[in-house]
Amino acid sequence: MAALPAPPNLAERVDTFVQWLFEDFKPVLPTGPKVFNDALLGNLLFAKHEVAVIDCPVLQRLRRIKQTGLVYYVFPSATHSRFEHSLGAAALSERCFDAIRERAKVEGATFPATDDHTSGDLAHLRMAALLHDVGHGLCSHASEQIYEQLSDLREFKNDKRYAANQPGEILSYLIVNSPTFQEWFEEYVVRGCQAQLDLKVVSNLILGRHADKDRYFLAQIISGPYDCDKLDYIARDSYYCGLALTVDLPRFYSMISTEIYKDYRALALRSYVPLEQILFSKMTLFGSVYHHQKVKCVDSMLRSVIGHIVQNPEQAKFPIRGGRSVSFADPVEYLYATDDEFFSQAGGFGDDYTKNMLSRFRNRNLFVRCLEISRRTVTNWEHYGRQKLIDLTELPEKLLDLENKIHASLPPADRAKSNRDDVRLSVPGIPRVSGEALIQTYRGASPEKIKKYFPVTEWTQSYAHNKWRSYVYAPREIAPAVGDAAISVLLDYSGLEIDAGISNQTCHL
Amino acid sequence: MPASQDAVLPDHILAAVLTLAKREMLSKQPKETRFAFHSDDSQLQEIFSELQKDNRILDAFVFSDSGPEPYSPALEESVSRLQLSGLIGRENPDYEVVFLQPSADGFFDDVLSAEFDKPQLEQLSKIASAFLKRVKVA
Repeated sequence: MAALPAPPNLAERVDTFVQWLFEDFKPVLPTGPKVFNDALLGNLLFAKHEVAVIDCPVLQRLRRIKQTGLVYYVFPSATHSRFEHSLGAAALSERCFDAIRERAKVEGATFPATDDHTSGDLAHLRMAALLHDVGHGLCSHASEQIYEQLSDLREFKNDKRYAANQPGEILSYLIVNSPTFQEWFEEYVVRGCQAQLDLKVVSNLILGRHADKDRYFLAQIISGPYDCDKLDYIARDSYYCGLALTVDLPRFYSMISTEIYKDYRALALRSYVPLEQILFSKMTLFGSVYHHQKVKCVDSMLRSVIGHIVQNPEQAKFPIRGGRSVSFADPVEYLYATDDEFFSQAGGFGDDYTKNMLSRFRNRNLFVRCLEISRRTVTNWEHYGRQKLIDLTELPEKLLDLENKIHASLPPADRAKSNRDDVRLSVPGIPRVSGEALIQTYRGASPEKIKKYFPVTEWTQSYAHNKWRSYVYAPREIAPAVGDAAISVLLDYSGLEIDAGISNQTCHL
Repeated sequence: MPASQDAVLPDHILAAVLTLAKREMLSKQPKETRFAFHSDDSQLQEIFSELQKDNRILDAFVFSDSGPEPYSPALEESVSRLQLSGLIGRENPDYEVVFLQPSADGFFDDVLSAEFDKPQLEQLSKIASAFLKRVKVA
């Protein structure tokens, strides 16, 4: 009996997705450069070949994906998209590049990069910044937390070439390297717009890599301790969330240069004050926005509806253009769905549970906190059970099993009026902040790691740990019963003893 | 939801190495009551990158080859999670001293000792010895 053909691998499935994106696209060559007016950064100039890329479906799709996922349910003005963030990142990558070049010129130092806008290093840098987020799927990081656990991406994470990258970056890399995108790029960008760009270089920059060690700093501008992505999203997210955070970008750029560190030409700052400002802003965003209890609640609700679709692919599948559908069992399927399309079909797809959940999103009828697990509610906080709880961030099947157990432990009346996907345990991770940034205290000094002056990673972790909370969420009508059931199930699983009275107070039950 | 989950979590490997290192140190210095060592994140990265070369069990910590130094996000996250769970702590104000909390012993005895088989525990003990030689005990 002949062996069955191997199923398409992740790269092949990404290419199928890109083919689907381009199916109904009629490319028109831009007539020239364009200026985009950005609310945060002002007028941003893009070259003709960049406009061609901006106009293609790979980038246009990002208009329909919100930069901060479901955060707008809590911070109403946070409706900015991955699209404008990508434009901002491209602009900031050049500002960073220019600042380094100018400082090198003033100091008579080496600057190995070329600054042509249609070929060479600057053109590749801007293109990488433009394309760095094209691998984001439905609700940005909210779904990334779900699909990163799927086996395809785990295999990539076990490869040293991709170990340092986030799932979205890996998918961006695969989209940019897909045969379909490369073919279109070659015809319309390279030949049509006369731009001498190599997508291999661009895709490596997205992963934070460069084949030339003397140009490693370019990779760091795209993906490094203070890359253009971070600089843009910290400023942009705080602006649109209405948080009065300050990131003094001009000051930051005036302090940046490159130095040779272990044979690599790496970014180095002449002062760590701008970096501290970035760090404090990032941590404030985490505490106030990304890890806000209600944001975690809507993220959990998304996991409920996605999890339900995965478990019930026939009844609850999500229809996409071309008479097809996806059921989110594969990382690539998260690319087919954008926020606009997913939520605009609120009345039109899935089974009763899916429709009910989408109605909840539409009417902001959100789940509520039933239980808080934190140092203020756990009476034996020093018990190792906290590790068992935190293990769940790496064990999605175990997490689901516990949620099902909580639901199964409900009194029959509460169980009857709910679905097992209604119980969600949210165990947030901790933001990663690299202490690998380099600092050069004076011109000519050997570059040193910033941690020598400020223990960045350790401080961040300690700060985040004190703010860390885990919650159980459920619909309001079953919340008290879920809280009680969760206390018992979590005690059995982890040994953590949770004070129901304090938890009920903090959860307003 | 379909997922590929490793049998042993990186956090558990790190917790086991640190606990076994503590036990080896206390067996040699019975008057000591705790295990603490000087280390920052990049030193730990270097040490585990070295130890990984001879110990397949440490393959759970995949090291990226993209930059000038070995860097394993999995190791960094494990350190962070062990601190978050209270199994390890760091001394203020410079965070240079890492110490094992008493709960780490309970976690090892109640959870990890049953999770690893005998050959794995022997390998982890060997790694713990090598780890002890590479850190400055506080």
